[in-house]
Amino acid sequence: MDFLLSQLAGFGVALTALIVDPLTYVYLVTSVFLGITFGALPGLTATLAVTILTGFFGNKIPLDYSMIALLGAYVGAIYGGSYPSILLNIPGTAASAATAMDGHPLSKAGRGGEALGLATTASFIGTLIGTVALLIFVWVLLLISKNIASPEKALLALFGILLSGTLMSEDLVIKGWIAGLIGLAMAMVGMDPLLSEPRYTFGWSYMLSGFQVVPVLMGAFAVPQIIEGLRHLELGKMVALQGRILPNLAAVKRHMPTITRSGVIGTGVGALPGVGEDVAGWVSYGVGKTVSKDGKNFGKGSLEGMLSSETANNACIGGALIPLLVLGIPGSPPAAALMGAFKINNVIPGPTIDPAIILRVVAILVLASFTMWILGLFTARVFIKILRIPQTVFLPVVMVLTAIGSFSVGGGINDLYLMLGVGFVAYFMNLMKYPIAPLVIGVILGGLFDETFRRALFLSDGSLGVFVSRPGAAVLLALNIALIAAQIPMVRRPFQRRNRKEV
Amino acid sequence: MTTKESTHPAEAEKRNAQLILRARDFWAALVLMGLSIFFLWRTSFIPLWGENRAGVSGGDWYNSAALVPLGIFSAMFILSLILLRIAWRDGGAKQALSPLGIGWSKTEALRFATLAVILFFYIAGLVPRVDFILCSGLLITALIFGFHGGYAYRMVLVAAAVGLAGLYAMVMNLPRAHWTQHDDDWLVLTIWFALTVWVLLADRGSRLARVIPVIALLAPTLLVCAMAFGFRQNVPNRGGLIFKQIEYHYYVTLKPIWSGK
Repeated sequence: MDFLLSQLAGFGVALTALIVDPLTYVYLVTSVFLGITFGALPGLTATLAVTILTGFFGNKIPLDYSMIALLGAYVGAIYGGSYPSILLNIPGTAASAATAMDGHPLSKAGRGGEALGLATTASFIGTLIGTVALLIFVWVLLLISKNIASPEKALLALFGILLSGTLMSEDLVIKGWIAGLIGLAMAMVGMDPLLSEPRYTFGWSYMLSGFQVVPVLMGAFAVPQIIEGLRHLELGKMVALQGRILPNLAAVKRHMPTITRSGVIGTGVGALPGVGEDVAGWVSYGVGKTVSKDGKNFGKGSLEGMLSSETANNACIGGALIPLLVLGIPGSPPAAALMGAFKINNVIPGPTIDPAIILRVVAILVLASFTMWILGLFTARVFIKILRIPQTVFLPVVMVLTAIGSFSVGGGINDLYLMLGVGFVAYFMNLMKYPIAPLVIGVILGGLFDETFRRALFLSDGSLGVFVSRPGAAVLLALNIALIAAQIPMVRRPFQRRNRKEV
Repeated sequence: MTTKESTHPAEAEKRNAQLILRARDFWAALVLMGLSIFFLWRTSFIPLWGENRAGVSGGDWYNSAALVPLGIFSAMFILSLILLRIAWRDGGAKQALSPLGIGWSKTEALRFATLAVILFFYIAGLVPRVDFILCSGLLITALIFGFHGGYAYRMVLVAAAVGLAGLYAMVMNLPRAHWTQHDDDWLVLTIWFALTVWVLLADRGSRLARVIPVIALLAPTLLVCAMAFGFRQNVPNRGGLIFKQIEYHYYVTLKPIWSGK
């Protein structure tokens, strides 16, 4: 009880500090507005919003304010994806793909206002559920993670890369792993962290400091999207918004069980390393379809169906920040971009993170979700107008933003070359259905993996037993092996046969 | 099989998409294999068994800087073999050399090639050497006009415009010492102006054509000023034709007014 009270007191102090600072509102309203705009425009994603703002705000303003800008954009963009999903049947972000299944039929039936109002409120409550979970679990996990040493850190980093590769592959799982390995390989460039041995620099002094996170982020997430999005596209006819957007309290109360369930599912999925809001939305939609009384109407214009995915994708934000803040492993692709912002500010997320930062993150998320709710309910028609901007007009400006953002982070013109190179590679990887998030997570965690893996071996005089003699490490090693073994046909066959017999 | 495919077009399309993907996987596996072998060879340059360097011991194998890269590139080699086997098994190798197998349509190839030319010359040729407002204005005009309607001749035209400007800047002012010269700035300004006139004539009366010059001028100007004077960060080519003037008047004309000096 004391623990909970001290947490709440700390949160209260952080929230008050934010509320009394007038600059908070400038960054908050601007970033949430920008985030919703990015989410609402098909072709621009939440990851892109956070990535571009990382280049722009990452190290140019104090970290306290850049966190407001980045988290505000993150919350806004995940919610913003619901606009084109509901009105155009085109998901603004991958996270809102499941929302379109029921949101669009609802708006075609003349219930667009009601759908948008409830989606806004559900996103708000979902973000709050994820934030409460973040406030509670981050501390519990931080207490446990104090016992984490090099072997566990190395295996955790590997687990994060493998898991994101496994869960984010659209085609073959090995493509996700290959993407993760490419990221890890990129992290090996430069001086090695223990002996300062130069690796793969090819005599170019710029490479001695390794690949910088921001240009890699920009290249991996922004450039392929710009290349892919610069094509003529008929958006289709937008359904005119009918009905009142402001939801009535009775409707919200009626759907509260669905919202709460989806919030919890979204938070749980988000807490898995490397798994993003899109997976959260689909998992929650699938569960909703099974357990809801209205399940048979999912896909035909069910409010429950729409709320299942829309609540979960926003709740995922709080969940995705748990592994980021506790272990330094991003829980989703936008969280990977956030980690980039932490890194360029010399903040290392993980067991040693300053507790004040966690409390501030929680307070920002609460204010950002509230701002998103207000903007969503009262300025929805502005965002609907923005929806009409073709991406061929918006993306060239994004390219200029990307270039100047990447340039100004520190590496100058070489960072731009790196960004473009990574961008072309990522475009072809997208074309061949390789997920990009494991690559970025590999780049971010590669240094940590290299350092902790070798340190663990160094401390045990080269004995591999160090990875099984410690209980935490043994569990993580088992998880890593299970994850790989689950994809080997020889191992899978007996399980599949047993499952068939049970059916 | 043929009957089946003709009666189920959706299934046939899915099968076709899968074949294209496997053909690409075949090539990707070969590239990955080559890359992993190359980097395994490069890794052999890093001491693994505790060699002495200039009389100093490099440590033990488990502490070597080559250990983790060795694991990564070995794993990549094994995974590329598995990918090759999957691609071979699913018919990717048979399709690998046909254009359809690679899934590279002429329209898509043109769109990508023109975009690649524009982005390459913008980043490698123009941004380091030409005023940021000018080259970004040209880029925005080129990308919106070239790719909005999906017309092939416009894509080629804008790629040629940006390519010409970029190539000139790279050839004439290749070394860093020449980056401050302004001949390429003037050329970019001329090309941008000509392209804008073309846009206004080609899409006479269209709202988009009227908006393009406004976006192309305002967006980079606001961005570069916000970055340089708002966030006080480094911006590309500070000595550029236009930015130099803006910076001069900011510090000499404007700033003293609000500093009260």
